[in-house]
Formats: sequence, structure tokens, C-alpha cells
Amino acid sequence: MEMVILGAGPGGIAAAVEAARAGVSVTLLDENPKPGGQIFRQFHDGFQVTSPGMLGPDYGRGQKLLSQFDTVRERVELLDNAVVWALTEGNELAFYRGDASHSVRYKKMIIAAGAYDRPVPFPGWTLPGVFTAGGAQSLVKTQRILPGENFLLAGTGPLQLALANQIADAGGHVVAIAEAGRIDNWFGLIKGALGQWQLIGDAVHYLYGVRKAGIPLWSRHIIVEARGHGQVEEAVVAEVDRNWRPKPGTYRTLKVDTLCVGYGFVPSSELTRLAECEHRYEPLLGGWIPVRNDHMETTVADVYAVGDCTGIAGSLVAIEEGRVAGLAAARRLGHLTTKEARERMAPSRERLAGLQRLRVILDRTSVPRPGLYELAREDTLVCRCEEITFGEVKAALADGAMDMNEVKRMTRMGMGNCQGRMCGPAMQEIIAAQKRLSPDSVGYLNQRPPARPIPLGVLAGHRELATTV
Amino acid sequence: MVNRRVEKGVQRGKSFELEVDGEKLVAYEGETVAAVLVAAGRRTFRWTEKKKHPRGMYCGIGLCHDCMMVINGVPNTRACQTLATPGCRVKTQRGLQER
Repeated sequence: MEMVILGAGPGGIAAAVEAARAGVSVTLLDENPKPGGQIFRQFHDGFQVTSPGMLGPDYGRGQKLLSQFDTVRERVELLDNAVVWALTEGNELAFYRGDASHSVRYKKMIIAAGAYDRPVPFPGWTLPGVFTAGGAQSLVKTQRILPGENFLLAGTGPLQLALANQIADAGGHVVAIAEAGRIDNWFGLIKGALGQWQLIGDAVHYLYGVRKAGIPLWSRHIIVEARGHGQVEEAVVAEVDRNWRPKPGTYRTLKVDTLCVGYGFVPSSELTRLAECEHRYEPLLGGWIPVRNDHMETTVADVYAVGDCTGIAGSLVAIEEGRVAGLAAARRLGHLTTKEARERMAPSRERLAGLQRLRVILDRTSVPRPGLYELAREDTLVCRCEEITFGEVKAALADGAMDMNEVKRMTRMGMGNCQGRMCGPAMQEIIAAQKRLSPDSVGYLNQRPPARPIPLGVLAGHRELATTV
Repeated sequence: MVNRRVEKGVQRGKSFELEVDGEKLVAYEGETVAAVLVAAGRRTFRWTEKKKHPRGMYCGIGLCHDCMMVINGVPNTRACQTLATPGCRVKTQRGLQER
């Protein structure tokens, strides 16, 4: 493969478009049945969209990028439902599709793995009826199903407003939105975003929708507990101080059957970690992110990374970074001169400079504060897969565990099917707080192949270094 | 019978039936198994190995594995990533099962 791109979300598609236009032969791998990623997720076959306007501005933007992709479609090999499970030295990667697993070699690789909702443990967070904001959104937006009747939205950031609009529009009752940050900061956000009219437009549109639907929007409130027999029946919220610690006497219980929790996103850094790229811990950008130069190259030769997996910044940034990486790699492959590449990158570089400013303001409002990581009790599960409680983790720390991987070895935390994606981000903060260390000094869960659970039968039939797929 | 489908904005394709723990549920082309269950108001997809706790759909994008069910005889299958097909047989999963 001349160029392989991992992930067909905004960043991966934009990279594919630019590289293919420059004449590179591109292979694009994605885990989903259709390109688009999470934000530009398309409907499955069977659904017919009758009014695209009500699906929100992202839907339109996604369609625009996907139509650009259509123009280069014959020069790009798109492998859907493909799961990458190993990245090894010598520019080799292993993936499986259906029941077949292959190894292939590439000249340049662009990782555009995206991000996922930041999971935060609190009592009751494993009850059926508790969804991540993104999980609930996937049901409402592209399956057109309301996952409940009476909703509480809890978390931080503008996605909550978007989701509230979508639920209300679909006929659901949003009892309240609990926003952990200070809502008056959002006006600062809008002021700092001058020039980024698209994004300001979205925020105003959603805020107006929330007001119009009469949805209570509570500033500086967090969810502290979900309760119920077998599923969510009530939720407890509290007002918080500036460190997001609940204030005594402010707790209240709400009758809701569905809870959508969204504390921002975590970069999906599993693939760049698997590739052994150097990472740094950047709380304002969501956690561990790969170190890159301004051509989006990581510290590992021939490996580029773009979009939310390199720090949370949203789809507009992902698209421009994807373009830059696609062009930079095309130049290195000899398809463009330095001058051509620079000229084609110029508009993207300019847009990235404008978007950067917005990113900083957004992050300051929504970056989690310490109180968020103090909600788990002794018997609260912190690792959903292996069912490890906070008490068990504390016992391991008392027994001398010093970092994430030692806790993993002693308790099995992070060894289940999600491979540390659900417990890792919060546990890093929680363990650091327990040890009175900085979060980066407790490390991250080691990533070893397989990066995803792979059926043993498929692994047994793995074919080494097929030259064609 | 609970039906949480939203009609606004889309037109659904062909409908068919699938079987969940012996009960027939209506599904439409393009719906995932998880969506069909949620639409019918069913929230418990599996019971955990150690603590026998109920779990349902959580992340919805194939990462958390909380929605694992036995689908057409194959355990540990993520309901949120599996498209419903006519005659598909789905069972609530108990614990972790070897596949």
C-alpha cells in the first residue's frame, strides 16, 4: 500500500481526498459499515432521509465532505468493517475484516482514529438507562429511536445543547441539563470565536432551541448518583463549586428514566500508542496525545496523525489537519513538489490558525475539574468490564502499586474487553490524586496487540504479509 | 407494546421480525440489534459474570462492550454494531462466554 489511512471520519476523509487528488494510491480503513466517522455518521441502508434540515448543521457539513470524497472515490480503496489490531516495525499493520485477518505493508500511514465520550465513574453509572451522550446521540440521530421518556443530560460543553435539541425535537422530555462548567463562560467563548461564524451559529442555534423548548439549564451542576432497581429510576444532582465539588445542602433527586452523560471527549490514542509514537499528557486537549510536527508527522517515521485522536478540537480542525497530512505525505511520496504542497496547504493553515483560538477558550470552560473524579464510592465499579471496585483499586495502592500498569496487574483493571478505554482516562486522574502525583507520572495502560478483541478462529487464520487484500 | 421510534425526518425501509429470548420484535432495515431492543423498551442486554448485574447499551459506538449478547448463537457479539436481519435470534447473555 502506498498510503494507508486509519479512520474514515472527517480527518481521514479529508486526507484521502487531498492525497488522491495529488495522485497517491490510497487505502482507507474504517471499522464502520460506512464512511463518516461519529460526527458525520451516515444512515444505514434502509433509512430514507426526508428532511435533512432537522438533522443539524453537522449533517450538511458531512454531506459536503462526503461528496468531495465521491469525486476521488475510484482512486481510493475503502475497506469498511476493517478492524486494525496490530502495528509493528517495518511499516506493517494487521487488520481483520469479517473472518479474515491480514498483514500488509505501507509506505505512509495517517492515523485518524477520532475520540470517544469521556467515561466518569459515579455510583450507579453502570445501570441500564445510563448512556454516554454520544451513545444516546447515535440512537436519536441515525437510528431515530428515543432511548427513554424522561431524560437528564449531565456533563459539560455544547454537545449537551445539541443533544437536548435533538431529543426535544424527537418528542422526548428533557427534565434538565446539568452543566458542570459556568454557563456565563460561554459568552466569553462566543466573543473569542469571532470570525468562526459557523461555530458561533451552531452554539446560538442550540441555545435558542433549549430556551424555546423550555428546558431548564443548570449551570455548575453535576450528576452525583444514578439509582434504580435494574435500571435508572432517579438521578441525584448537586450544585458544585469552582473545582466541581458538590456543595452540601444542594443535592436534589429527579425522577428520570434515562441519563445521558457527556464530559467531553478522550482522544483515541490506542493506535498511536500501539505504533509506539511518543505521547505527552495534555489535560486541555483531553489526555494523552501524540507529539507531532507541523506536517502532522509523529515521532515514528512514516506515521502521521490528525484530528481528535491528537487532541480534542472537533471536526473542522480534523478536516484541515487531514488535508495538511494528506498533502505532506503526498509530497514525501514524490507526487507533489514542495512548492505545490505548500500552496495547497495554505488555506488549511490559515483556517487552523483561526480555529486554534477557539479551541483554547472552549477547553478552559469544559476541562474536567478534580471534583469530577471524587464521586466513586468504595463499592462503585471503576472498571466496568472486569467489575473492579474503587475499594479494590485503593487496596492495590495501599499494597504498593505505584502506577496504572501496576494497578492493572494487581487488580485486572483495564484487562477486559474495552481494553482500558472506559476505565483508563478517569483512573489515571483518580490514582494520581490518591498518590498525590501528577496524572502524567502514573503513566497509561500499556497497549499491546491485539488492540481490539479478535476471535481466536480469525487470529488462527491470520495471513502474514499479503501483498493484495 | 412500547415503540420508541421517531417518525419525523426519515422514512423507514422494510420491516421484519427478529426473536429476542423467544419473543418476536419488529425491526426495520438499517436498524442495529441494540436499536431494536431499545425501541421496544428492553434495556437489559446481559448479566455480568462476577456480580450478576444487569447491563445495557452504554457507549453505542462499539467500544465499551457492555451491549454484548448471544446473536445467532455467537456470544460476546456487540448489539450496537450488529445490523438486525430477518429471523435473527438474539439471547440475553449471562456472564462471559467463550466463542
